[in-house]
Amino acid sequence: MQRATANRLTPYMFMAPAVVIMVIALLYPLGYMVWGSFRDWDPSQTIGEAEFVGLKNYITLWHDPNFRESLGVTLSFAFFVVTFEMVIGVGLALLLDRNIRGMSVLRTLFILPMMIAPVVVGLMWRYMYHPTVGTFNRFFEAIGLPTVDWLGANALMSVIIADIWQWTPFIFILSLAALQSLPRSALEAARIDGATGWQQIIHIKLPLMMPVLIVTGLLRLIDAFKVLEVILVMTEGGPGLSTEILALRISRTATEFRELGVAAAMSNYLLILLLFITVMMFAFTRWQEMRANRLRAAVEEDE
Amino acid sequence: MSHSLKSTVASLTVAACMAGTAFANPYADYEGTTLIVNFPAHPHYDAVMKILPEFTAETGIELEVDQLPYLKMRERQTLELGQDEGEYDLIAYVVFSKADYVFADQLENLAKYFMNPKLSDPGYDAGDLIDGYVYNIGFAGGDKGYLEGATGSLFGIPYGSETSVLGYRKDIFDKHGLKVPETYDELLEIACKIPELEPGMGGLSSRAASGHHAAHAFLLHLNPMGGAIFDDQWNPVVNNEAGVKAAEALKTIVDCGPEGATNFGFGEALGSFLNGDTAMFLDTTVVAGQIDDPSKSQVVGKVGWALHPMGVERASQTGGFGIGIPANAENKEAAFLLMQWLTSKKGDKLVAMAGGNPSRFSTHADEEVNAKYPHMATFGEALKHADPDWRPIIPVWGKINADLGTTLSKVLTEDLDIQEALDGVAERTKGVMTEAGYYTWN
Amino acid sequence: MATSYERQPPAFYALIAALVVMSVGPVLLMFVNSFKLDVDIISGTSGLIFLPTIQNYETALCDVLWYKPDHVDHCSLKFGNAFGNSLIIALVSTALTLVIGCMASYALVRFRFMGRDSVSLTTLMVRMVPPAVLLVPVFGLWNNEFCIGKTTYVGSLIRETFGGRGDVCLAGTHSGIILVYVAMNLPFVIWILQSFIVQVPRSLEEAARVDGAGPFQVFFKVVLPLIKPGLAAAAIFTFRIAWNEYLLASALSDRNTKTVPILIVNNMSEFNVEWGVIMATGMLLAIPPIIFTLFASRQIITGMTAGAVKG
Repeated sequence: MQRATANRLTPYMFMAPAVVIMVIALLYPLGYMVWGSFRDWDPSQTIGEAEFVGLKNYITLWHDPNFRESLGVTLSFAFFVVTFEMVIGVGLALLLDRNIRGMSVLRTLFILPMMIAPVVVGLMWRYMYHPTVGTFNRFFEAIGLPTVDWLGANALMSVIIADIWQWTPFIFILSLAALQSLPRSALEAARIDGATGWQQIIHIKLPLMMPVLIVTGLLRLIDAFKVLEVILVMTEGGPGLSTEILALRISRTATEFRELGVAAAMSNYLLILLLFITVMMFAFTRWQEMRANRLRAAVEEDE
Repeated sequence: MSHSLKSTVASLTVAACMAGTAFANPYADYEGTTLIVNFPAHPHYDAVMKILPEFTAETGIELEVDQLPYLKMRERQTLELGQDEGEYDLIAYVVFSKADYVFADQLENLAKYFMNPKLSDPGYDAGDLIDGYVYNIGFAGGDKGYLEGATGSLFGIPYGSETSVLGYRKDIFDKHGLKVPETYDELLEIACKIPELEPGMGGLSSRAASGHHAAHAFLLHLNPMGGAIFDDQWNPVVNNEAGVKAAEALKTIVDCGPEGATNFGFGEALGSFLNGDTAMFLDTTVVAGQIDDPSKSQVVGKVGWALHPMGVERASQTGGFGIGIPANAENKEAAFLLMQWLTSKKGDKLVAMAGGNPSRFSTHADEEVNAKYPHMATFGEALKHADPDWRPIIPVWGKINADLGTTLSKVLTEDLDIQEALDGVAERTKGVMTEAGYYTWN
Repeated sequence: MATSYERQPPAFYALIAALVVMSVGPVLLMFVNSFKLDVDIISGTSGLIFLPTIQNYETALCDVLWYKPDHVDHCSLKFGNAFGNSLIIALVSTALTLVIGCMASYALVRFRFMGRDSVSLTTLMVRMVPPAVLLVPVFGLWNNEFCIGKTTYVGSLIRETFGGRGDVCLAGTHSGIILVYVAMNLPFVIWILQSFIVQVPRSLEEAARVDGAGPFQVFFKVVLPLIKPGLAAAAIFTFRIAWNEYLLASALSDRNTKTVPILIVNNMSEFNVEWGVIMATGMLLAIPPIIFTLFASRQIITGMTAGAVKG
């Protein structure tokens, strides 16, 4: 009898620490934030002292051109980053999917950028982009090309390049893994049918990799909204608001403008956006599974 | 421990008596206290760090300094000052924090310390402190709420305060027979002539990066042009003719400036001057020490100093830092002693000799200081034109400043029309001010 | 494993060389620059001809050096202290996350219980929360709500032992930062460990249970050793985030609990960018992740694929 109760309690005992920590340090804060977003809240007040203002923060933000611009910057940053990284990463994977000596060493070198602290990445690129002493402009000068105003007029592009440098390897590694787990039989069949390299890629490899690619892309998209330190160190959001992504604007609103309520409302907007992407990702994987099941069922019926 | 402490105190007292200079050591009660002090990472405070050991040696009061970049410092202080009991005994605050802190009752009024005969040094000579700075940084409650005046009183003492001066390359000016600009017209003309005369060199390096930097650069030109952010009824007038002229000046300067100037923060702007990439530098006086430091500067000995050029009037910046005692501090009296020591004639001269910015008239006139830093005399002259009402120091300023800085950065990088941009700033400022209740009495 | 390697055209090797230069170049550049004086970095006569100096490292490490370098007249950069904080925070939070996370994912995989689905769904959802979103609430809670009054028994005990003033709050302590990191990393760890635990054959667990082992014994003695590769991958990813994170740490740390990323950002102060010293601190911060990458790249790649493919 006692044994049975203990057994029934076992899963809860295993779960308890994780649940407690996540409730205290993740869910409760999120709730607290939603609550705070309805208040006119200054960092020198506790939340109880702050005045309740209803939806005012949300409405102000919605009409705030700076917020809209920053939202636009975030979206275009995420879009370009994910697009370029997908194209380059998958392209490289297709190119390097060969049996060559030292592939594991190469992969090790390629993941190096991902492991380094964003703060350090930001500082390396800030140095390389420096208008006069930076590596790029010095190189351009040396070979007689006009120099580029990297972090000035082309700040968003420069920031995007830095992110591509850091995160393309992620896509590359995952697509390479996907490529190498493709069923050999399908590729063999295609080769026997006389399909060229391109035809193989377009008609066989890419469609078969697609589920993994979509999930990878969505994961990267979610991560692209989390980027903050690299940009903070490189440009602090400037010039103008040209690189002020939402995460950065949230932190500036909270610390520099001292408007915690508005920052909380902004966080909620970002959260809703991400929630939407996450739900899309779930829906997609569910749909994938269902389709796979249906196919399997169909195959079984045929037999 | 307490025994050895007592014996040290005793021996010190004996020493003091024997020297016959004082009957008691005013620091004796506080010997062994550790003060926790919050200072910014700033050239002046780097100089202060060098003289602090002297304070400890003289008074027996230990110090622990938390040095932070100044925006970070402000964040930290917001948090610490809001607690019932805070960590910091003495803080340096940015001038625009004055409004927030005094309004929230977080800074000690200094009257009770200056009234206390045991603490207050009769030889302090408060009249020698530069009045523009004291009104700008230390006072609150008078005119417009943030200046001196019949209802004002003192909450802090300027320390690491600064005004604006024009630095120029003597060698370049001599080479082309240029005259040091006296007015804004001359300044802008020369700024744009330099890139033609010296290919690859920018005219004047100015900060221009989005946010605080661009706003600061604009304010530098706004007052000499006769403009202001608000009129006397708190109506935004930043978009009037003077405002537009100031923004145009900023744009001209950045256009004729060194490469990449639109993204310069203070560090980059100074860096390009130190590196010899520009012929002029118009900003705060704190840079003088670095310009003469051969490990940082390529232009040692080539820089001359002149007053901030005039537009319709001379009005140079007032800003920088003050030091004050948080209302929630633990060792307020010892903190006052440190504050008094640092800003005394002796402390002020020490920090000036270490490369800091003096805040006393006498230090600017001091022979020894002038021998080491020949520019000190020009700086002293510049102080006469320092405008204590250089920018509004009101609690909502942070927000207006950020908006102004972002909008100006757009003018500089995206060719936004100046009038339109400033109209936008004025309109949003009006909204902010309405919300903050500045028009309640209209 | 296939041992025959195909020969590739020279252009292919050129491409690979270019890729290697691109991914490793910036890191090497930082490494080289960290041995240069500022004057050499700025002056433009760049390249590899310079006199290497460890001066930057001396400046950075001045608070832990046993001698006082000549060029440092005031040791303002407390790098050693920050490095210690970073180590404590990253190691403790990684260890906690792993233990707690694999217990939870074991429960999710092996047991059917009430609330299992909602727990699993929540875990998935909170994976997407960006640190910036947590900034405001964590700042408010850790400073104002998660406190022990200094007049209470525990509070006064802490104040007497450790000093400091005011109420005892989570903010400004190592535990405060560790708590956020554990919570932030748990969803990810639970997620990727599931795919490893599923592969543990049930028969092994049954056998142990027949021998009379309780559920915790089964878990620690049978399951844990079998999912070591998964644990290694999860550990590296957790450590990486805890080691590199800036935003939340900067909101929660005080002058004694600063971590290295905060120190680096603070040191990019606007008044004078000392490139040499910053690159040296950056290099020191980057060394542990670089070592991991070189020695455990296989685990990293396993972790990445497990995390994404199941996603």
